[in-house]
Amino acid sequence: MIDIQNLTVRLGSTEILKDINLQITSSKWTCLVGPNGAGKTTLLKAILGLQPYVGSLKDDYVEVYNNHNRNVAFVPQHPQIPIGMSVGEYVLLGRAKRDGWGTESKNSRSLVAETLRLTGLFGMQNQLVTRLSGGEIQRALIARALVQESNLILLDEPTSALDLHHQIEILNCIESLKSKGVTIISTMHDITLAAMYADEIVVIKSGEILSSGATNLVVNSPELKFAFDDRIKVFTLDSGRPVIMAQKEKS
Amino acid sequence: MVFGKRDNQELRSIWDWRITAAAALLLLFIGLLGISFGPLSLRFDQIFRTILGLPNGLTEQERGVLLDLRLPRVLLAALVGGALATSGAVYQAVFRNPLADPYLLGAASGAGLGATIAITNAHGNLYGLLPVFAFCGAILAVLVGFFISGKFFAEPNSLLLSGIAVGSFATAVQTYLQQRHSASLRPVYSWILGQLTAASWQVVAWSSIYILIAISILISISKQLDGLMLTDEEAYSLGINPNRIRIIAVVAATLATATAVAASGLIGFVGIVVPHLVRGISHRVTNRALPTIALVGASFLVLADLGARTLLSPAELPIGVITAFVGAPFFLVVLRRKRLVNQ
Repeated sequence: MIDIQNLTVRLGSTEILKDINLQITSSKWTCLVGPNGAGKTTLLKAILGLQPYVGSLKDDYVEVYNNHNRNVAFVPQHPQIPIGMSVGEYVLLGRAKRDGWGTESKNSRSLVAETLRLTGLFGMQNQLVTRLSGGEIQRALIARALVQESNLILLDEPTSALDLHHQIEILNCIESLKSKGVTIISTMHDITLAAMYADEIVVIKSGEILSSGATNLVVNSPELKFAFDDRIKVFTLDSGRPVIMAQKEKS
Repeated sequence: MVFGKRDNQELRSIWDWRITAAAALLLLFIGLLGISFGPLSLRFDQIFRTILGLPNGLTEQERGVLLDLRLPRVLLAALVGGALATSGAVYQAVFRNPLADPYLLGAASGAGLGATIAITNAHGNLYGLLPVFAFCGAILAVLVGFFISGKFFAEPNSLLLSGIAVGSFATAVQTYLQQRHSASLRPVYSWILGQLTAASWQVVAWSSIYILIAISILISISKQLDGLMLTDEEAYSLGINPNRIRIIAVVAATLATATAVAASGLIGFVGIVVPHLVRGISHRVTNRALPTIALVGASFLVLADLGARTLLSPAELPIGVITAFVGAPFFLVVLRRKRLVNQ
C-alpha cells in the first residue's frame, strides 16, 4: 500500500502538489486524471522516488525518496531514445538490476522474448530503437517495464501514442498484472478508457486532490466535472459502463 | 565468429564476450611485436627463452634492451592507450555526446599549462617534476570547471561547456608563459605532441596504479553507464543512481586521463577513435564493451609507438603524429562503411 500524508512538492517557488493525502491500494489499478499541468506526472515521479518532497510518501511503510532498494517499473511519457541501441537491448535493460554485472541470464532472455511477443514487437528485436514509430516505442517501454517483474508499475500516459487496437491490447496486458499482485498507477487523458480499466480514480487539479475512490463513484461525481471546467458529460451505456465526452458549452 | 550479422529470430546478447577475448589476443600479439621490433630486433624464441630462464636466450646487451627499454615502454603505451580509450568512451556516455574526448573537460590544457610551468620555471630545474605538474594541472582544470559549472547534476553538459572555457583560459596562460620564455618553445611543443621516451619501470609503476584502479572502477559501473543513455527517471527505475554514476564516472575517467597525460604528454585521437571503432565493429553501443575498448586502445597505442620508433629509425617520430596519421584515415574508412552512430 502507498500511503501519502501531507505531501507537498515545490519546483522553485511554485507548489506543484499542495498538501496531498492519499492511500493507494495494493494489487489495484489506480488512475490519476485531471487537466494538463494538474501535477499528475509530478505525483508519479514522487511515487517513483526521484522527486524531492515535503511530507511523507511511504510504499509498504518505507519512505520512497531516493530509496534505491525498491524495484519500481516506470513508463515515461517522454523517454530518451538511445542512439544505436537495438530493441532487444533496450528491453533487456529492464533486467539490469536482477542480472547484475556481466552477461544477462538465460531466464531474462526468454522472458524478454516472451514479452516482445506479448507486446507485438517480436521480430523487431534487432532493429534500432531510433527507427521505431511512436507506438512501437511505447510498446517497447511497456515491455521493458514488464520484464522488471516489479510489484509496482507507474505509467505516464501509456496509450497516448497507440491506435485503438494496441490501446486495448496493452491495457489488457497491464490489467492482467493485477492477478499477480502488481499495483498499477497510471495517468490517462482518456477518462472513458480510465473508467474501463481503473479500480480507483483520483481527480487532481492545480496540485490538489478533488476526489478519490472507486471508479463508478468518482466518474459520476461533480468534482470530476469541476476539474474539467464543467466541459464534460458522463453517459452510462446499457452495460453500465460510463462514457465521458467533452462538450463545447459548459453544462 | 560473425560480427554484425543480423539474425532476425534470435535475441542477441547485449555483449558478445568472444569479441573481448579476440581483443585480448590482439593485445598479446601486438605487445609481442612491440617488444621484439626496434632498432635492435629481438627474436621471439629468444625472448621466451630468456623470460622462462632457459639456455640460448638473449645476450646481456639484448636483455638490457628488453627489460630496461622495450618492456616498460610497451607496458606504458598499453596503459596510456587503455586509459585514453576507456575514458573517451565513458565521457561519451556521460555527456551523451559521441564527440566527447578525454581532453575535452580541460584536462589537456590544464596538463599543458602545468607542464609549461615546470619547463619554464626560472628557479631551479623542475623538469623532473613535469609529470607531477601535468597531473595536477589536469586535475585542477577539471575541478575548476566542475565548480564553475555548478549545476552538473541538473545539466551534465554544463560541465562540458565550462571545461572548454577553463581549457581556453589555461591555453592562454600557457601561450603567454611560452612567449615570455622562448627557449621553452621546443620542449613544450615536443611534450604536447606526446612521447613515450620517458618510459621507465618507475613511470610504469605509478601510472599503472592510478590507471588500473580507474579502469577497474569504470568497468565495474559499465552496466549502469548504459542507463545514462535514458532519462534520469528511467535510469532510476531500472535500479541506477544516475547522479552517483555520473560523478564516479567523471572522477575515474579524469584520474585515468590525467595519469596518461602526465606519463606521456598529449596523445590525441585514441579516446575518440577506439570507442567508435569497437562500437562499429561489434554493432553495439553498450558500455559493457569497456574492457574491449581498453584492450583495443592499448593495442592501438602499442602499435602506434612501434611505428614511431621504427619508421624513421634511428630517429623517432612523435607518437601523436602516428595516431592521427594512421588513425584518421582508418577511422574514416570504418565510419563510411559502418555509419557508426546510426547504423
